[in-house]
Amino acid sequence: MISVKHLSKHFGGTEVLRDVNAEISKGEVISVIGPSGTGKSTFLRCLNLLETPSGGEIFVDGENLLAPSTDILKIRRKMGMVFQSFNLFSHLMVIENLMMGPVHLLKTGRQEAYDEGMRLLAMVGLAAKSHAYPDELSGGQKQRVAIARTLAMKPEVVLFDEPTSALDPTMVSEVLAVIRKLAENGMTMMIVTHEMKFAKDVSTRVFYMDDGEIYEEGTPRQIFETPQRRKTRAFIHKIRTWEYVISSRAFDIYRMNAELEEFAAKQLLSQHRLHNIQLVIEELVMNLLLPKTENIVISVDVSEENGAVEMRFLFGGPPQDPLLEDSEDGELSRMILQKLTVHAGFGAKQGDNSLTLQLKEPKQ
Amino acid sequence: MKIAKKQEADKLTLTLVLNGRLDTTTSSLLAEEITPEALAEINELVMDMAGIDYVSSAGLRIILDAQKKMNQKNGKMTLVKVNGPVMEVFEMTGFSDILTIERA
Repeated sequence: MISVKHLSKHFGGTEVLRDVNAEISKGEVISVIGPSGTGKSTFLRCLNLLETPSGGEIFVDGENLLAPSTDILKIRRKMGMVFQSFNLFSHLMVIENLMMGPVHLLKTGRQEAYDEGMRLLAMVGLAAKSHAYPDELSGGQKQRVAIARTLAMKPEVVLFDEPTSALDPTMVSEVLAVIRKLAENGMTMMIVTHEMKFAKDVSTRVFYMDDGEIYEEGTPRQIFETPQRRKTRAFIHKIRTWEYVISSRAFDIYRMNAELEEFAAKQLLSQHRLHNIQLVIEELVMNLLLPKTENIVISVDVSEENGAVEMRFLFGGPPQDPLLEDSEDGELSRMILQKLTVHAGFGAKQGDNSLTLQLKEPKQ
Repeated sequence: MKIAKKQEADKLTLTLVLNGRLDTTTSSLLAEEITPEALAEINELVMDMAGIDYVSSAGLRIILDAQKKMNQKNGKMTLVKVNGPVMEVFEMTGFSDILTIERA
């Protein structure tokens, strides 16, 4: 139904979308997730040409949206859009907001538009508010009216641009319930959202956007339970990373420890956990790595979700797993590392070695 | 790390009260306190670990060195008031089997 090929968009020198490719079929409910500023909303706005793409192609039912001969208004009518900020006409009553599009653009008769409007208001649970003005409604009610108004135009696809981001938390669920109902009725939808649980429950597919592209896509299960790529995993598990670069044997270990302590405090790690991380770093770096190389990059990933800690060490020197050596010097260090961590992988490639260690969970 | 020294009246027991971290950057301070000269007159060495919350292998080596020196002169060494997290490091390295340790 919608086919996107190599879509790109830049604002001045800033590239927001680099290379977006997607196929969306009728009846699909697609959630678009990802960190702020990765072009999720821009992608959505390009689909109905609220933003003009800088490059690439978008086909809707086989028609190229960007071809000069295309009737953009006609295609745009197939795609309703629900915005973060409702965009209702405040001088019109709720039912008039719903009738305006059908009467003026679809040339529907007033009575028919009224009846259809009332039906849609009943569907979003707001029939009683048909003659109220938008300012008399709560945020959640306004957004439900906005959804009904979009549906009044009989779109084939509805694009939701962070429909609950401007709402008080208490009103999020009433709006999500309406979107959920549309999904059950088979409406084709694309939803940019930060509501992860909702995205997981309601979608047929999830797009994780990062780096100006659809970085990973899959079923909700694939994306939320077994994300394959690093940035997806970091986002899903809410991973925060601390990094430190060592380039000399005489590096400032006090400074490194102070920075790590600051990071640990922000992540609410216990003193004990912090000390174990410091111990792993000290034993590995001072006793096993520095004797062989001065180039070491340390990164510590902490999952905000479950507190899991993973440490990665990139280093120069011979391609040898420092935990598998048998030098007597490093024996104590290796013993400590084996007790504190789970070995999660060693790799060596063209003079760069990488070692990943997971900190064991504290004993209860 | 700070180290305070206490000598009993009979001058046979030396107590080192340690405070802070016993790691790569500080272990040399402890090494300076357990030279053969410092231990010459005593037959018992006590390390008060109440103020130590972090020990790495660099610290363990110095403690082991002290134990060896006391063994050589048929003396005794005891670590007292050892905290839980420090005890874990002693346990994971097997030091808890070769040192005399009193937990906090």
